[in-house]
Amino acid sequence: MNETTEPEALSAETVPAAAEGNAETAAAGVDAHPETAAAGAETPGEAAPAGSDRVKRLEAEGDIAADYLEELLDIADLDGDLDMDVEGDRAAVSIVGDGLDVLVGADGEVLEALQELTRLAVFTQTGQRSRLMLDIGGYRQDLRKNLVALAREAGEEVQETGEAVKLSPMTPFERKVVHDAVAEMGLTSESDGLEPTRCVVVHPAR
Amino acid sequence: MLTETLEHLVRGIVDHPDDVTVRPRVQRNRNPRFGGRGETLEVRVNPDDLGRVIGRAGRTATALRTVLQALSGKDNLRIDFVDVDRHR
Repeated sequence: MNETTEPEALSAETVPAAAEGNAETAAAGVDAHPETAAAGAETPGEAAPAGSDRVKRLEAEGDIAADYLEELLDIADLDGDLDMDVEGDRAAVSIVGDGLDVLVGADGEVLEALQELTRLAVFTQTGQRSRLMLDIGGYRQDLRKNLVALAREAGEEVQETGEAVKLSPMTPFERKVVHDAVAEMGLTSESDGLEPTRCVVVHPAR
Repeated sequence: MLTETLEHLVRGIVDHPDDVTVRPRVQRNRNPRFGGRGETLEVRVNPDDLGRVIGRAGRTATALRTVLQALSGKDNLRIDFVDVDRHR
């Protein structure tokens, strides 16, 4: 279990550390954060003592983000509802509605830009870097579903052939989703190669 | 709408939101590659906030451009960032 997440967690930690003390680096760590956050979610017990403070802080992040985004929707004359949640150790804010494609963009580039700005808006008010996750129009949710389906197909192939399968290059967020899905099937996986062509390799169960 | 949107997005990420102004400017002598005349939005911020709105390696400025270009439907929309002390 740990074998699958450890390499990602390590690489994820090096990014923010290398650029410590700069607010703008919240952006640099964007890709790395999802994995550490998700890895943390696997052991929720550890965070339990300070849990309620942590949840309150994350809820406050969600409120700041929602205010920022809601006013954007108003000004841009877009319809959308805001859902706020705490997922693992980060705040999750979703703009839900139809006709939000303009805020997602090709390959989610507008969504990523808005997530970055929203994290900065939170930082501006709290003084703390935020790892808030923004979703718009279910884009990330759909991406996750597709990745899980892909991971299962690869897992089935590995189970049938007994041989490792290497997947296409993915972002850290995508790889994390795949590692988790593969682990659920009782298989192991690791990441191979360097960014931006780092790939998940699925191995038979040991 | 674009001016107001940009103003909101910038005000939310700076320490001196009251110093933020955005105004459109039609530029002449623009590179014909971008279709001759293009719209430029000029963002003025407090000098202390200039680094914040530009971001490390221009990441924040790029994020603002990405969002504004998406909303404008134009890819020749320019955004310039200047601090309030300049051009006065």
